Amino acid sequence: MTKSNVHGLSRRRFVAGAAAGIGLAGFSRPVRAQAAPRVVVIGGGFGGATAAKYVRMFDPAIQVTMIDPARSHITCPFSNYVLAGFRTMDSITHSFINLRANGVTQVLGTATVIDPVAKTVRLAVGDPIPYDRLIVSPGIDLRFDAVPGYDEAASEKIPHAWKAGAQTVLLRQQLESMRDGGVVLMSVPGNPYRCPPGPYERAAMIAHYLKAAKPRSKILILDSKEMFSKQPLFQDGWKALYGDMIEWVPASKDGIVKRVDAGAMTLHTDFAQHKGDVINFIAPQWAGAIARSAGLTNQTGFCPVDPVTFESTVHRGIHVIGDSSIAGALPKSGFAANSEGKVCAMAVVNLLKGKPAEAPTYVNTCYSLVGPDYGISVAGVYKPGPQGIVEVPNSGGTSPREAPLDARKAEAVFAEGWYRSITADIYG
Amino acid sequence: MKPRAMAAALLAACAVLWGPSSAEAQDANPVLLALSCAGCHGPEGRSPGSIPTLWGRTAANVLESLAGFKSGQRASTVMGRIAKGYTDTELEAVARYWAQPAR
Repeated sequence: MTKSNVHGLSRRRFVAGAAAGIGLAGFSRPVRAQAAPRVVVIGGGFGGATAAKYVRMFDPAIQVTMIDPARSHITCPFSNYVLAGFRTMDSITHSFINLRANGVTQVLGTATVIDPVAKTVRLAVGDPIPYDRLIVSPGIDLRFDAVPGYDEAASEKIPHAWKAGAQTVLLRQQLESMRDGGVVLMSVPGNPYRCPPGPYERAAMIAHYLKAAKPRSKILILDSKEMFSKQPLFQDGWKALYGDMIEWVPASKDGIVKRVDAGAMTLHTDFAQHKGDVINFIAPQWAGAIARSAGLTNQTGFCPVDPVTFESTVHRGIHVIGDSSIAGALPKSGFAANSEGKVCAMAVVNLLKGKPAEAPTYVNTCYSLVGPDYGISVAGVYKPGPQGIVEVPNSGGTSPREAPLDARKAEAVFAEGWYRSITADIYG
Repeated sequence: MKPRAMAAALLAACAVLWGPSSAEAQDANPVLLALSCAGCHGPEGRSPGSIPTLWGRTAANVLESLAGFKSGQRASTVMGRIAKGYTDTELEAVARYWAQPAR
């Protein structure tokens, strides 16, 4: 076999595996001789870049075009550590160059129109890009229409920092400029939203910075929910590492923010107003703009999909993966998007050949740091069921609540290892 | 295992076709099973960081680990929780996958 592949991944092996997997499809339709099938992928995040790479891995004869406005992706995972001060933006920025080396063609720009009948994607400029199958993975958009006072202009003063990039840098700068004894307000939306444990890890990472640099400061989390991911583990860890620095207010204790006043730097609930020296407003979310304008969303603002192929239940030939999709019990996480990307890639390759999709399995493992040496995790294995994707019974779950510190340390080490592995899997 | 035997094993594990209308969970495709590992263990099972590499291990060795994680006899952080999500047949398929000679 050739040793020339640049990824350390054996293309032949993946092709052989995919072919073997569909080998018994005795009733597949004959495929006409025609030009190479065209797969277009919108978005170069965890979902889109994984799908683009793995379509090429499974079948190098397929033309894959990935549309993204940037030449690299800044990951939301590990962006909280930039806020804490022990990661740089450079270290969470991953170039698309290896995707291109693997035969993925990138079109620089933002997809603005999907025509599901003509099967084309249009950008602001240039010719429409034709596809045989389209994979839409635009991530989330913040809803600037959901809470009065919080629009895009307000986000320049009160960052959401829920898309890694300039917003992350802005929030870090605000924390660095804050006085000792200041109050950091956080607002967390109701479900569903990107990265369920993310806000609570963020609170810990801000506390890690403040404890060293501004120890008289406080963090107040105003939550639109009654409970949250890994809650006992987070609350134990907050207490152990940061004492009373972090206070969490659930919805039933007046935690739901009803109005934002960016001028006064206040968040307003039913019965109170809270003034912050720094405010992180994690606004409610919905699917990325292109998924909404293409009509791929339902009343939830996210995209219903087939649990086996991630093909849209609205438009045939279009698949939606990652945070934009409604993936049943699978959380909106980078790991889940990577898992969905691989399943979707194999399904797309098979469907283009007129073969049925394979029996999928999905996995998710989310590490969170409470401190640099204090990691906790939630893991799960998922399969499609009659009502959509469900977690396999009697598996998965969180780290144990009672655990020695060296177990927390081990999970912190594995968190870093996970990040290196998954970014190599996608962008390496 | 020789490539031909490997292909036969893969075929056997994929004998039941899956369609969107299917209702019951069934053993997953071995390639998709194994690619789930790559999210933590790295592309092609070669971990660039602190998580153990799968590449180059024998099927017996991988299966012994996975069975130990699933039963709880082998201590772990996340693998016990994950291994319980797969049937014994699936774990065997994963172990065979990582032991394939073609690299």
